[in-house]
Amino acid sequence: MVPETLLPYSLRGEIVVPRFLGEHDHPWLRVLLDEYERFVGGPQRELDERLREPLPGASFIGKQRLAVHVLQRIWGGQGRPGMAPQRVRATVFGEAARSPASREAILAAAANHLGVSAAEVETTLFADLPGERLIASPNRALSPGELALRANLALVQSLMFRATAVTIEVCGNARALVRHAKLRGLICAVAARGDTGDAVLELSGPFSLFRRTLLYGRALGALVPLLAWCRRFRLQANCVLREEPVTLRLASGDPIFPAAEPRAYDSKVEERFARDFRRAARDWEIIREPEPVTAGATLLFPDFVLRHRLDGEKHWLLEIVGFWTPEYLARKLALYRRAGLRNLILCIDDERQCADGDLPLGARVLRFRRYVAVDQVLRLLDGSE
Amino acid sequence: MRLLFDRGTVVVADPPPGLDLAEVAGFQWDARVQAYRAPACAYSTVKTRLIRGDIPFSDAVRQPGPQPNAWSPIALRPYQDAALHAWELGGRRGIVVLPTGSGKTHIAVAAMARTRLTTLCLVPTRVLLHQWLQAIRAVYPHAIGCLGDGARELAPITVATFESAYRNMERLGGRFDLLVVDEAHHFGTGLRDEALEMSIADARLGLTATPPRDRVRAAAPLVELIGPLVYELAIADLTGGFLASFDAIALHLDLTEAERSTYEKLMATFRGVHQQFNRLAPMARWQDFVRSAARTCEGRRALAAWRQARKLLALTAAKRDALRSLLERHRDARTLVFTADNEAAYAIAREHLIMPITCDVGRKERDAVLDRFRSGALRALVSARVLNEGLDVPDADLAIIVGGSLGEREHVQRVGRLLRPAPGKRALVYELVARRTSEVGQARRRRAALGP
Repeated sequence: MVPETLLPYSLRGEIVVPRFLGEHDHPWLRVLLDEYERFVGGPQRELDERLREPLPGASFIGKQRLAVHVLQRIWGGQGRPGMAPQRVRATVFGEAARSPASREAILAAAANHLGVSAAEVETTLFADLPGERLIASPNRALSPGELALRANLALVQSLMFRATAVTIEVCGNARALVRHAKLRGLICAVAARGDTGDAVLELSGPFSLFRRTLLYGRALGALVPLLAWCRRFRLQANCVLREEPVTLRLASGDPIFPAAEPRAYDSKVEERFARDFRRAARDWEIIREPEPVTAGATLLFPDFVLRHRLDGEKHWLLEIVGFWTPEYLARKLALYRRAGLRNLILCIDDERQCADGDLPLGARVLRFRRYVAVDQVLRLLDGSE
Repeated sequence: MRLLFDRGTVVVADPPPGLDLAEVAGFQWDARVQAYRAPACAYSTVKTRLIRGDIPFSDAVRQPGPQPNAWSPIALRPYQDAALHAWELGGRRGIVVLPTGSGKTHIAVAAMARTRLTTLCLVPTRVLLHQWLQAIRAVYPHAIGCLGDGARELAPITVATFESAYRNMERLGGRFDLLVVDEAHHFGTGLRDEALEMSIADARLGLTATPPRDRVRAAAPLVELIGPLVYELAIADLTGGFLASFDAIALHLDLTEAERSTYEKLMATFRGVHQQFNRLAPMARWQDFVRSAARTCEGRRALAAWRQARKLLALTAAKRDALRSLLERHRDARTLVFTADNEAAYAIAREHLIMPITCDVGRKERDAVLDRFRSGALRALVSARVLNEGLDVPDADLAIIVGGSLGEREHVQRVGRLLRPAPGKRALVYELVARRTSEVGQARRRRAALGP
């Protein structure tokens, strides 16, 4: 996370406008990358000193500070080779406590004890401080373009870190967002937009009901790199900057570094189920992550559709539930019922029950431990259980 | 109808139709999930109100788990016992204010032992985390949970850093019945208060050496979160008996001519902007000024000048000289040197060959250093801030305050470091103050904070 003082943005009324790094910044980013390479092997503080002043072409020092911060995080530093500074300190300061001799005499005695020169003792004394660490040679090449995108991502996530609630209008890939949100303990209200699969997501946390809290900023910020995988999106975040409420807006096309492609499966459990099912049930087709189902004003995201290859009437939805309470299951079933879908199988993890209580009646609920047994699912499908 | 714990809140499942829970104070309707919800800290109030209102419910809020094991007997000093008693009389809610070195941790440990409740202790730093674990271990020879500094273990008695508690209270909030908050003055500002609001613990004990400066404004949220002030003693109440007596000597030192002219130039740049701001907003706080100044070029220059002036005062030529002669004169004393910033701490470390304790020194090395200081193998330590709060530095008898304008609270903490009692001990505090600078007023305010 980037400290608030390093964030380049401007305010237009209550709207916070991030100062994105773009193509016009590439020349000085190139210079920055070259300078960094030039200082490889030298102490951090020398580079810091060099970068305190604006680089040629960097119109805005705030952008430069952000880029430096991000670059340091990617490349990191390394300690100095040679004698451990801790050992030198223990010897020098111990000697100083023992002997009333002059500074020079004490350093000489310590040097003698450690078997090095007095000058080396002095340079090593605090060689492990952050400013004394050596600039490591970059472990991979970075282009000005990538650095700009990564800096922009860090900028946006750091702003989102101060978010209290977020609304996202999204077209495509809503599932990955919803899944991520739930995984991170957010409350995600999903409203369908027409019947195109577009959705409006309202994201906040349980405690947000009572007051504006920054508790969920981290989780909300983690959504940002996933947005690049949506066909279109518009995001609006309510943030608190310098104790003032402001609004951040983002949309598809903003120059933000994307996350790795979202995983196709929630978990190993789903992956294994899909594989096992395909192998064991030749008569059935398994479709993972089918289109969402509209239930009243909300969208449901079943994990799988199971369809009989010969008998199209035989058609089931299957959802694998991680953490659950009986209420949660009951609510879920009610939603499916409202959507007119009764052929639903819920697989619930026996070890992840969050509260005691009876299971809702009338549900086809399959308890599992570690993995979902395909033969049990098949028995349910055949109506024999 | 059932009450459930949901990530730091209490939600109602299956309310009987027709019942309007919005009338039960604490609950709010949460349209996002179509249920009534209350912050976890309202749990016991909500429960009482439901019972009084004759509304039947079952309660699954408290997460089941093991209870604490048996504690060894704990001996308390009379004032510690009185503080604990006051807290119990206050319905097991409240804040105890005692000077550094008077054994606040001990009172908390006794509270845990006496109530036998499952307890979560919140401490501000990783250093204190380990110190608390050690203190509890001495009288509780069983597994102790630890959250922070890389550890993630839960037990009926658990210690967590503020940061870990803030991040994990969604999961922890339903598990503990007693919250102990060390350095409780950190809360009540809205920042991270959620850590306390998301716990169902009804019993709460806050500890601090320094109650909020602005008592009226700051106290109200703290009372909500932890409880009222139930017991307070100042350093002056305990010196000579339970704390060592001390003499404070301020040495007023001149700036050199060159320092003086640079200082005046910097302060003129700063004052120009600051005075203008003060005229427009006489009631504004320093933070307000910083925020406003950061918006303009002139303001940023003023802030930079102010920072440079402070840096200049942190270690002046006269302070260097005074420090040298003081260290020579008190060669045999166990000495703590306090500076305004890390840079000055390192400069002094290099020049006088005194071990620095800063945030950059790892925990292992720091522990080893403190052990050697205890045994006398090191005679002095220099630090900017790390030594201020809670770090268990044993038995120093000389403090030299070279700089640090962070205020009275910090000063009380620093002086407290010296006051662990020993027979016939009289501690000595030197303050090095640059004459005719902003340090003079600061030194006066610091002195006043130690009590009559």
